Amino acid sequence: MYFRLNKFSQFSIKNISIAMSDDLQEDGQTEPRRGKVMNKGEKQKFKDPLMNIVGEETDDADGELESLDLDASCKSDASMSRSSSLNVNLSGYDDNDAETHDMSITVDDPEKHSGTMDSYVTFRITLKTTRTEFVCPEYEVRRRYNDFLWLRQKLEETYPTHVVPPMPEKHSLRRLDRFSPEFLRIRALALQKFVNRVADHPVQSFDKNFHIFLTAKAWEFQSHKKQSTGLLGRVSDSLYNMGSSYMLKYRKPEFAAIQDYILAFGEKLANIERITQRIVKEQTDFHTDLLEWGPIYTLWSNSEDQLVSSLHSMTKAVETSSASLKELIDATEDHFNQPLREYILYTECIKTVLRRRDAIQAQYEQTLDELNKRKEERDQLKISDQTYSLGAFLGKDPDEVKQNKQDKLEQQVKELTTQMEVLNDKSAVCDTDLRADMERWQKNKHRDMKELFMEAADRNVRYYETCLKAWEDTIHSIQGKDFPVTACDKPEREDDKDKDDDILLEKAESTETDKTASDLS
Amino acid sequence: MADDSPPTYSPDHFPSSPEEDTVEVAKKLGKTNMLQWMEIRVSEPEKRTTTSMKMQDTFMVYLIETRITDNDVKCKGDGTTSLWRRYSEFELLRNYLEITYPALVIPPLPEKKATYTWQNMATDKFDAEFIERRRAALEIFLLRCAAHPIMCLDKIFIGFLQKEEAWKDTVYATEFQSKADSKLKSLNASFRLKKPDQQFEELKNYSNEIQGVIANLLKVRARMADHQFGVHKLHGNYQRVFNEWSAIEREMTDPLQSAGHYMNVYAQSIDTILEEEEQYADQLKEYLAFGESLRSVCRKYECLQYDQERAEEGLTSKHSQKEALVQGKTSTGFSLGSLKKAMFGADTPEQRELKIKHLEEQIKVNEVELKQANEEMQKFVDAALRDIDRFKRQKTKDLKEIFTNYAIMQIKQCKKGIAIWTSAKDCFAKM
Repeated sequence: MYFRLNKFSQFSIKNISIAMSDDLQEDGQTEPRRGKVMNKGEKQKFKDPLMNIVGEETDDADGELESLDLDASCKSDASMSRSSSLNVNLSGYDDNDAETHDMSITVDDPEKHSGTMDSYVTFRITLKTTRTEFVCPEYEVRRRYNDFLWLRQKLEETYPTHVVPPMPEKHSLRRLDRFSPEFLRIRALALQKFVNRVADHPVQSFDKNFHIFLTAKAWEFQSHKKQSTGLLGRVSDSLYNMGSSYMLKYRKPEFAAIQDYILAFGEKLANIERITQRIVKEQTDFHTDLLEWGPIYTLWSNSEDQLVSSLHSMTKAVETSSASLKELIDATEDHFNQPLREYILYTECIKTVLRRRDAIQAQYEQTLDELNKRKEERDQLKISDQTYSLGAFLGKDPDEVKQNKQDKLEQQVKELTTQMEVLNDKSAVCDTDLRADMERWQKNKHRDMKELFMEAADRNVRYYETCLKAWEDTIHSIQGKDFPVTACDKPEREDDKDKDDDILLEKAESTETDKTASDLS
Repeated sequence: MADDSPPTYSPDHFPSSPEEDTVEVAKKLGKTNMLQWMEIRVSEPEKRTTTSMKMQDTFMVYLIETRITDNDVKCKGDGTTSLWRRYSEFELLRNYLEITYPALVIPPLPEKKATYTWQNMATDKFDAEFIERRRAALEIFLLRCAAHPIMCLDKIFIGFLQKEEAWKDTVYATEFQSKADSKLKSLNASFRLKKPDQQFEELKNYSNEIQGVIANLLKVRARMADHQFGVHKLHGNYQRVFNEWSAIEREMTDPLQSAGHYMNVYAQSIDTILEEEEQYADQLKEYLAFGESLRSVCRKYECLQYDQERAEEGLTSKHSQKEALVQGKTSTGFSLGSLKKAMFGADTPEQRELKIKHLEEQIKVNEVELKQANEEMQKFVDAALRDIDRFKRQKTKDLKEIFTNYAIMQIKQCKKGIAIWTSAKDCFAKM
């Protein structure tokens, strides 16, 4: 029965209209986005900074945003900066896959504010850039954690087929005081990493929400946030939200491999993080022991008269070791486990994008199926006889019925063909985006992991170096400065016989040695 | 040191008869310390099983070897001896020494059972590690005794080292156990001394303090060992995950696997580290037990003083009794004497004379006893204080060396850690 409504077709039609308006909203259309991702950047290159025009395809919404008074947060003379950025632009940057660090952001200087209802912390965001779309080369604004969250959400909505970097967790399990300087310092570093990852992205770094985030004054920013939330409703049931699984006929092996890898990689990281947690716990217990152990030697020294300095030096070595261990523990949590957890979140982001990609492919395939079905129906209709159709039964002229049906099917085929082509393009673009992002992500991941683990190993080396020095000092304190500590690698003694021989034979000299030892102390 | 005659050194002195004691020879040569001319070793623990009365007794024996190292003291034969002893024989020797030389600080034996243990430590009596640590401690015990100027001359001690047959019989033949003061058997009884000696009181306090402090050190150290063990072994898990991870990567495979190998090395390294550290614990345990020896000396002194004070009191009371009789005064107040007098009448002069004479004889005996007690006490105090002083000097030297050794162990551990983590870092650098 050809009147029955295909659930999917209605759904996809609705989506098509949204998708189309999405396309209109983004800078640059599907046309230039096909092919090299860097085209977008190229396009920007030829924008005339003095005229402040972004491009022909931009719709009004963009224009409004561009006309915001960005000079307010500028640091230098506007006209000067424009000409200088022109120079930089014309010297060009290579559009191969070398990372262009033309945006550099620091996040620091946390400050506590007490609002009417709550207190919160803002961070200073400093942007240094050579890009032409910015009026000034340097900006400084203050933002809070929720602002970052807003930015991330916007990026995800705007670029559902790109991987948006993860945000640090809202709460830390270890540092319960969200105003403690340590916590804020770590958070600032994590936020800095987040924005720099966005800044390094060839597409996301040009996002206007991102630019506003980096440059707008406080009240401008707040009003912009309010405006943008209105769009949420429309976007909410679009591609952005496609989370559930789809019955794909055939997922390209390339993306199946990525999926498998991301899954396994996330698992391995989670394992490593778990192991490290357990180690840290055991180290913490050991640290507690050391805190108890060290003072006992000093307590002992109260009962002695000849061994006081030796016992004190024992306490000192234990104290130094325990302090160094605490440093190691804290650093492991802040600079190893925390980044690991963020990377695990990163894999979650990628999984989401993979799902969306699957969804697009599924959409396309469904539309294709639908189209083929309709085509078949149309062909069959040509040779059909409508004499016994429902319409004829109701008194209509069979030929008219046939004509009507034909017209309808023709219309549907036309619509579906367009839809199919759009989705095909979309799918191709999505695949390209994801592929490019994954390539970049893999490179960055490789570099990040290398750095992470090298630092962790280095921390351990430094811990042992500190302890070693502490114990060397103890030996010097007990035995005098000339004791050959470097000869300490002598082979394990089988027994203590030698020791006793030496001691017991030197009875006569013993009192003198005691005197010298106490002289040194 | 105690009863040496001035040394008469004669380099050409050789034993004239095979039975002449090497010790006598050494003594004549003026060597006060056995270790100056003899080497003692405890080695080769072996398991023995004897069956008696349908019960099987399994125990370890240790080989005790001696070798004369000083050419001047050579005896007939090659100057070496070797025999087997078990732990209970060591105990017998020590008991003998403790009772025979009450004023000396007798070195302690290693513990019977493993104490202050941590998770993976060897606790079984027949475990190789436990046996090895015991062997080392037994050797130290013998060396300390041999180094003592008085103990090294003791025949029973020498017999322990050199005479295999029927040594036990010779020990029992000395009937040393009967010499043991019965009061000492109740070690927990406290003596009320009228005038406790300041020095021994201080010594008692010191032994309590040192035992408390060392016990604490050992207790916390056992916990430390547990946690250190945990930290290291957990790192072994990294190897597993690194290997799994390397399987899904293309570029990081080899570096990850090598790094994993080093994590495993790190995990395994703790076994040797803790085994070595156990040595430190053993050394502390020896001094913990020395505290007992110190306390034992104090206790023996208290016994002597107790006896002396009793003797003094007895003498004083007898004097006053005599005085009372001589002066014809009867004791005031209610007493047996007054009661007797009331019931049976006062003494006759002859009876009184007899009583006085009796008392005077008793007083004479008591005076001798008191003199003896005082002499004994003085001798004891002299010997004890001298030996305690020796012990203290030894202790200072020992503990300095013990702490230094511990520091050396820690440095070794740190160097190992640095090496392993540097290698791991190099692996990561190749990622």
